[in-house]
Amino acid sequence: MTIGMTSLRYVRGYIDEVITHGPGLKSLVINIDELPVTTPGQFIMLWIPGYEEIPLSPSYHANGVIRLTIRERGPTTRKIHNMDIGEPVFLRGPYGAGFDLSRRARYLLVGGGYGAAPIIFAGYVLHRKGFESMYIEGVKSREYALYTEEAGKLGMESILVTEDGSSGYKGLVTDYVEKYIDAYDIVLGCGPEPMLNRLIEICLEHGVECQVSMERYIKCGVGICGSCALEETGLLVCRDGPVFNARKLLGAGYEVGRG
Amino acid sequence: MTRLSTRVSSLKLVNPLVLASGILGNDGLLLARAAKAGFGAVTTKSITVEPRKGYDTPIIAFVDSGLLNAVGLSNPGYKALPDILKGAREGGAPVIVSIAASTPDEFRMIASYAEEHGADAVELNLSCPHVKGHGLQIGQDPGYTYEIVKTVSSSVDIPVFIKVGVTDNLMETVSRSLDAGADAIVAINTLKAMAIDIYAKKPILSNKYGGLSGPAIHPVATRVVYEIYREYSPPIIGVGGVSKWVDAVEFMLAGASAVGIGTAVAFKGLSIAREILEGIEEYLDSEGFSSIEDIIGYVHRK
Repeated sequence: MTIGMTSLRYVRGYIDEVITHGPGLKSLVINIDELPVTTPGQFIMLWIPGYEEIPLSPSYHANGVIRLTIRERGPTTRKIHNMDIGEPVFLRGPYGAGFDLSRRARYLLVGGGYGAAPIIFAGYVLHRKGFESMYIEGVKSREYALYTEEAGKLGMESILVTEDGSSGYKGLVTDYVEKYIDAYDIVLGCGPEPMLNRLIEICLEHGVECQVSMERYIKCGVGICGSCALEETGLLVCRDGPVFNARKLLGAGYEVGRG
Repeated sequence: MTRLSTRVSSLKLVNPLVLASGILGNDGLLLARAAKAGFGAVTTKSITVEPRKGYDTPIIAFVDSGLLNAVGLSNPGYKALPDILKGAREGGAPVIVSIAASTPDEFRMIASYAEEHGADAVELNLSCPHVKGHGLQIGQDPGYTYEIVKTVSSSVDIPVFIKVGVTDNLMETVSRSLDAGADAIVAINTLKAMAIDIYAKKPILSNKYGGLSGPAIHPVATRVVYEIYREYSPPIIGVGGVSKWVDAVEFMLAGASAVGIGTAVAFKGLSIAREILEGIEEYLDSEGFSSIEDIIGYVHRK
């Protein structure tokens, strides 16, 4: 895989909208014309000069508008959460491998927590292609819900699962995946690793293709620093992933029991 | 011996391509994957005594014909070496352990530990341009370099390579290293540099300074390889901006017995190894050489 020269330099964009979803959870809508278009599941590096740069998988990107969904977890994300409309941000990318949405098939989209970001983006692309899909989002409780409504507006069946039952169905997102999976050909997943591990197991049991977006600490984004090596597999999340076909992952030595 | 095989001191390589230090980090299986992709040897990222987290991001910045990095010697510390080496050796190619330390004793301790756990050679990083108390700050002092190299080479049996950077007293550092028992010279490390984003109006790297690598530094590296070979003719691993077979051949003509590749792996992926090897073979054919041994140092022949 080669990195396009256009993906190497920072592109400046401007915040057009700040959306507050819930506690510690916001999205920035950024106008940024020159950034090459992202495939759902790919990531970009967002740099706030004077702070760190962080990897993010967009929750939407088309026609010069990118949406980044960001959880506050440190000084840089705190700074981002306090930014206003009109402020500049710097992006480079996109990098890595995204979801393979090329085949006409029935897709089951599964997002856990803010891992729903690339999942809803995949929903937009599948909608545009006219491929059948269903959206399931799992969160701790109702105030963390992100994109079930948006998915519904795209015309796909969409359900919310909360761990505490405060809205939608009660339980774990994977419980509901088991209920619906047999009507689908391909499962796309992004979320906490235990959820992804369970998702892989369910897909194997049901003989359904599974693509999961893995998370490790991405620092350089282009396969130099080795920070995002996926243990015991010889794979780099930033170059070989973040999205992996589950069979390839297991073939490389990934163990679902470990997470 | 095949036509592509080479030696760096007593280290035998099936081909002259070496994965340079700092690329793909310290994951043993990633290093093994590089070996399986065609590299004749692989080098670990520099290992220090204590684990190091490295610098805050941004740790890389792209510039025309190259990139700057200030990763900050992030590594899990020398106690992770058994794991790293176990994984890396699955690739079937020799594994060179790069060491960054501050004192002769630290270098010796890590080198011995690496040898004990299966390293095929050690590379002493005396040239990292962006970490205080390490690398260049040591390598610029030829007397101290002598002491470090002497200490390490008298305590291990595996070959000891010295990675040098571009400094005013580079040739003295090389000469003193060879006097002290160094088995090969690895030249060059990245060059200290800076990149500023004109719209952010700030240096891009959190560390402000970083090391420049990539095609931009290749002619500098060629000059250094040429000079070291001309003066001392030690085994040399030429490193710096090799992104195509022509660059690799150029290094060998200048005197390199092997050729390190780093940044190009980030730009083009691991498949670059086979691509370069094919190019070298075609060059040997078209120019009537029977093996790469015949081209090493060729430009120095009268």
